[in-house]
Amino acid sequence: MITAGVDIGSKTVKVVIVKDGKILSKVIMPGGRKKDEVADQAFNEALEKANVKREDVLKIVSTGAGKKKALYAKDDISEVGADAKGVLFYFPNVRTVIDVGAEEGRGVKCDATGKVLDFVINEKCGAGAGSFTEAMSRALEVKLEDMGQMSLTSHGAVPMNAQCAVFAESEVISLIHKKIPKEDIIKAVHDAIAARITSMIRTIGVEQDVCMVGGLSLNVGFVKSMKDALGVDLLIPEDPEFIGALGAALAAQG
Amino acid sequence: MIEEKFKTQPFKVFGKAKELRQGFYQSYATAKDEGKLTTTGSIMSFRPVIAGLGDFVHLGGEPYGAVVGADPIMSQQFTEETESRGYARDMCGYMRNYLGSMFLNKYAFGGPFKKPSFVFHVHFCEHHGKWYQIVKETLGVPVKVIDFPVGPPDDGRQESREDYLYNQLQESIPWMEKVTGIKYDDEKLIKALKNYFMNESLWGEIILLNRNRPAPIDIKTLYAFQIPGTLFPHEQRCVDFQKELLDEMKYRVKEGIAAVPVERARLMHDNQPPWYFLDLFRYMEQHGAVVVISHYVLFLGGTVNEKPDGSFERQPTPMEMGMKMTNRDEALRALVKWSLRRHSWRVGISNLADEKKDLEVKLAKDWHIDGAVMHFNRGCEMIASNEKEVRLALMAAGYPVVTYEGNMADRREFDEGQTMRRITAFMESMNLKKIA
Amino acid sequence: MAVAVKSGGAVKQFGAIRQNRHEYAKEWKKRTGGKVLGYFCTYVPEELIEAAGVLPVRIMGSHEPEDVTEPHIYKMYCPFCRDCLAQGLKGRYDYLDGVMIAHSCTHIRQAYASWTIHLPTSFQYYFSMPAKVQTPLAKPFLTSEMKAFKAALEKWTGQKISDDKIDKAIGVYNTNRRLMREIYDLRKSATPPISGMESMEMVVAGQMMDKKEHNKLLEQALTELKKKTGGNEPSSRLIIIGSEDDDTEFLDMVESLGASVVVDDHCTGSRYFWNEVVPKDNRLEALAERYLTRPACPQKDWEERTRWPHIEKLCDDWKVQGALLIQQKFCDPHEFDIPYLNKKLQEKNIPSLFLEFDVLVPVGQFRTRVEAFLEMIQQASLEF
Repeated sequence: MITAGVDIGSKTVKVVIVKDGKILSKVIMPGGRKKDEVADQAFNEALEKANVKREDVLKIVSTGAGKKKALYAKDDISEVGADAKGVLFYFPNVRTVIDVGAEEGRGVKCDATGKVLDFVINEKCGAGAGSFTEAMSRALEVKLEDMGQMSLTSHGAVPMNAQCAVFAESEVISLIHKKIPKEDIIKAVHDAIAARITSMIRTIGVEQDVCMVGGLSLNVGFVKSMKDALGVDLLIPEDPEFIGALGAALAAQG
Repeated sequence: MIEEKFKTQPFKVFGKAKELRQGFYQSYATAKDEGKLTTTGSIMSFRPVIAGLGDFVHLGGEPYGAVVGADPIMSQQFTEETESRGYARDMCGYMRNYLGSMFLNKYAFGGPFKKPSFVFHVHFCEHHGKWYQIVKETLGVPVKVIDFPVGPPDDGRQESREDYLYNQLQESIPWMEKVTGIKYDDEKLIKALKNYFMNESLWGEIILLNRNRPAPIDIKTLYAFQIPGTLFPHEQRCVDFQKELLDEMKYRVKEGIAAVPVERARLMHDNQPPWYFLDLFRYMEQHGAVVVISHYVLFLGGTVNEKPDGSFERQPTPMEMGMKMTNRDEALRALVKWSLRRHSWRVGISNLADEKKDLEVKLAKDWHIDGAVMHFNRGCEMIASNEKEVRLALMAAGYPVVTYEGNMADRREFDEGQTMRRITAFMESMNLKKIA
Repeated sequence: MAVAVKSGGAVKQFGAIRQNRHEYAKEWKKRTGGKVLGYFCTYVPEELIEAAGVLPVRIMGSHEPEDVTEPHIYKMYCPFCRDCLAQGLKGRYDYLDGVMIAHSCTHIRQAYASWTIHLPTSFQYYFSMPAKVQTPLAKPFLTSEMKAFKAALEKWTGQKISDDKIDKAIGVYNTNRRLMREIYDLRKSATPPISGMESMEMVVAGQMMDKKEHNKLLEQALTELKKKTGGNEPSSRLIIIGSEDDDTEFLDMVESLGASVVVDDHCTGSRYFWNEVVPKDNRLEALAERYLTRPACPQKDWEERTRWPHIEKLCDDWKVQGALLIQQKFCDPHEFDIPYLNKKLQEKNIPSLFLEFDVLVPVGQFRTRVEAFLEMIQQASLEF
C-alpha cells in the first residue's frame, strides 16, 4: 500500500511517500507565499523520485500549520499526532517527543501505537526558540550552522535567563560587550533555551525513550544542552525535518 | 454502527433571557434620570445589601469588562487608553476595559460614562481593592470595599471570619445612608436577600441537571442564561426567570431533549471563556464533544451542596434550612454564612492547596466527563490560580486535558490559529472526528 | 556555623549568612534541637514563632534559572514566587519542619499552595491576615487569628506559649527593628557608612536567622558603622521602591557608579522592620496592631493610599534625589501603585527610573539606563 504525507510548515513544505512501511522518497521545498502550489510541486517531485504514479497513491494525509493548503489531501492529522507516529517509525520505544521549531516548541507523550496521550505547547512567555537562535547567530556574527560545534568547545558557564526572548537578547548584547568568548555565549544561549524547553516538557513528564525533532535538533550544541538539562539521553532521527510528513504518511496507512 | 442522535429543540425561555439581558446596560445610563440609585463595583459585592436603599442599578465591573471584551475593537480602544496611563498589560482584562471606558468617558452602550452614587465593592483578588481606588481618584466617588476573609472553612476559625465579614457589612449600611442621604429599609434588604439565596440555589440546581445524558444544555447557552443571575440576582424577575428555566430543564431531561444532537464526549471547561470567541465550543460540538460543566459557570451565581460520597445536590436556601431573617442582624448573618460556605463563589478564589483541585475532580466525576479543556487565562490571575494543579489532579484521576492560552477580555492575547490546532489535536487524541 | 561576632567585620557577615542560609538553618536545628518554620510573607507574626522556640525563615529564591515550576505555576506569575517554589522542588529546603503563609498576593499564595501539595510537612498553616488593614474592624479579626495561630503552634510543639515568652519574643523583635532603624538612620548622613547593598543583605540575613543572633551582629555592626569615618559623598542619593527585591548584584552595580541607595520601601528592606510592637496587656492585640499599622504592602494599600505619605517622608528625611522603581515582572499590586508613585515623585521633582526585574536581570543593559538616570539627577541638582 502506497501512501503519502505532506507537512506544510511556516517555512518549508515536506512530502514523504511510503510503501508497506518503507520510505520511497522524501522532498523538501521552501514554502514561499503560494503554499498550495508548492505543495503540488513537492508532491510531484516526490512521486518522480519514488517512481510512482499519482493514481498508485492510495491516500494522502496532510499536517502542519498550513495543512489545509494541500488540496489533494483526503485527510489531515495534527502536528502532535504526526510527530508521534513519525518518530515511532525510527524508534519504537519512544514515549516522549520533543519538537523544537522556529516559533513553537512542543512536547508529545505517546504510547507504543503512536496514540497521543498528552501534549504541551509553549506558553506565550517562552516562545520563539528557533528564531531566537537565528537572531543570536546574527548578533554574534556567527553562521547558524556553526553555532552547534562552537558551543561544544565552550568551557565556561554563563547563566542566562531566557524566559523572555526579548530580555534574553539584552543579556547576550551585554555579554558581547563584556568580551565573554563567543563559544561561551552560544553555550549560554543553548543552555537557556534548553532550560525553557525542559521546563515545558516537565509539564507532561519525561518518559524514556525521548526523541527530539525539529530544526534545532540538527544543532549538536543545543542537543548537548538538552541532554544535560533533561538528564536523559536523546534520540535524534535521521532527517528530523521529515518526521511530520512521515507521520502523516504512516497515519494514511491506517 | 449507527450513531445515536438525540432530539433537540431551542429553549423556550431564550426570548425571555434575551429580554432580561438587553436593556440592562441602558438602564444604568438612564437610572439617575428615573430617580434610581446607581452603584458600581464587583458583581460579588453583596449587592442585596444595597437593596435596602431602594431600587438601584449596579454596573458590575466584571460583566461590563466582559461585554466590552466581546467587542475586540472597542476593547482595544479602551484597554490601550488604560495602558497609555501607565497600567501594565498583564493586569486584569476586565479592569483594563472598564477603566479605559471611564478614562475616555465613553460608555460602551453610548453616551458618557456616568458617575455612580457610590462604589460598593468586595476585595477578593489583588486587583479588586485597588481597581476602585483608581475609580475613586478619577471620578471622586465614595468607595466602600468589603474585605473578604480567606481561609479553609473547616479549620475552626470560620466563626471569626464570619464576624469580620458581618461587622464590615453592618458598618456599610450607615455609611450608605450617609453618602446617599437615603433611609435604609431592612425589609427591602430581607426581600432582596431571599431572592438572592433562591437564585443561587436555583442556578446550582439548573447546572446539576446537566449531569444527565444527553446534556440538556450546552455551555454557550449557559453563559447567555447566566447573565440575569450575574447582573441582578437580588431581584424577583431573576427568580421568575430561573424557575422557568429550571422547569424547562426538567422537562428536557424527562423528554431526552439534548443541547447537541450528537454527544460522543462530555467535557469540562475551566475558567472564563474567551468572550469574543465562544465559537470555540461550537467547534468542539461539531466533533460531538459537548462541554457540560464549568466551575466558573456553576459558582458564578450558583451554589451546590456536597454529599458525603463527593457527589453534589441542590443547596437548600437559608430559609429552607430554618435560618431566621426577621431583622437586619439576622439577615446579614445569613448572608455571611452563605458566602463563607465551602461551595460558594469563594471556592473559585480561595487558592487553598487542596480545595480547588479536589473540587474539580469531584465535578468531573459527578458530571461524568471524558476530558477537560482548560483556558490558561492571562486576563484573570485569581480564577486562574491553582489551574496547573487542577490539571495535574484531573490527569492523575485519568482525565485527558488540553490547555490553551488566552485572555477572556483582551482579544490581542488570543491566538485563534494556535488554539484551534490544539483543540483539533485534542479531538483527534480522543478519536473524535468532525461529524459529517 | 554558629555566628561568631567578629570585630570589624559584622557588616560583611550578613552577606555570608545569606549565601549560606540553608547551612545556617540546619546547624541551628542541630545546635538547639528546635524546629524550623519556613514562611512566605512578611505579614507572618514571627514573634509568636519565636515565642514557641521555633526558627522562622523566609523562603526566598536563589536567582538561578529553573525548569521545575512550569507544571505548577503559570509563567505569567511573578518570577519570585516561581523561584521560591523551585527551591522547594529542588530539595533545598528539605530541613523545614513546617511552612506557612500570611494571606497575601495571588502569586505567592500559588507558590505556597503548590508547595503544600508536593512538599507536604506536618505543619502547614494559612494565616488569614486581613487585606483591609485600614479598617478598625480588622483588629479583632487579626487578634483572633493570632490566638488561633498561637494555639496551633502550641499543639505542634507540645509547649505552652506563656505571656512571658511572648514578651521576651516581642523584646527580641523590637530590639531587632530598633537596631536596623538605627543603622538606617546612619544612612541619612551625607556620607552613609553602609551601602544600600549591604543594608539589603543585613535585612535579608535577618529574615533567615535567629533574631537573637542577628541582634548581636547588628549591635556589632552599629558600633563599627558609628566609628567609620572618611566616607565619600555619593554622587546621587537614591531610594529603591519595590516589590520583593533582593537582587544585590543590581544594587552593587548601581552603587559602583558612585550613587548610594540610602533608603528603601520594599519587603526585603524597611517595610519588614519599620515599626515596633507597642506592648500592652493584651499581647495578641498588640501584635495585631503592629502588623496592621506597619508600612503596607501594596496588596493591602486601599481604600486610601498610605504608601505615598510614608515614602515621601523617607525621601525628605533621607534627602533622596532619585527613585528606582523596581517591580518584579507581573507583580500586580505594584503595577497599580507605580503610575501613582511616578506622578507623585514627579510632582516632588524626584526623577524616577522604572525597571522590571526577573530572576536574573540584564545588568549590562540596566547599567546603561542607570548611568543615564544618574546623569539626569546630577544635571537637575546642578540646576538648583
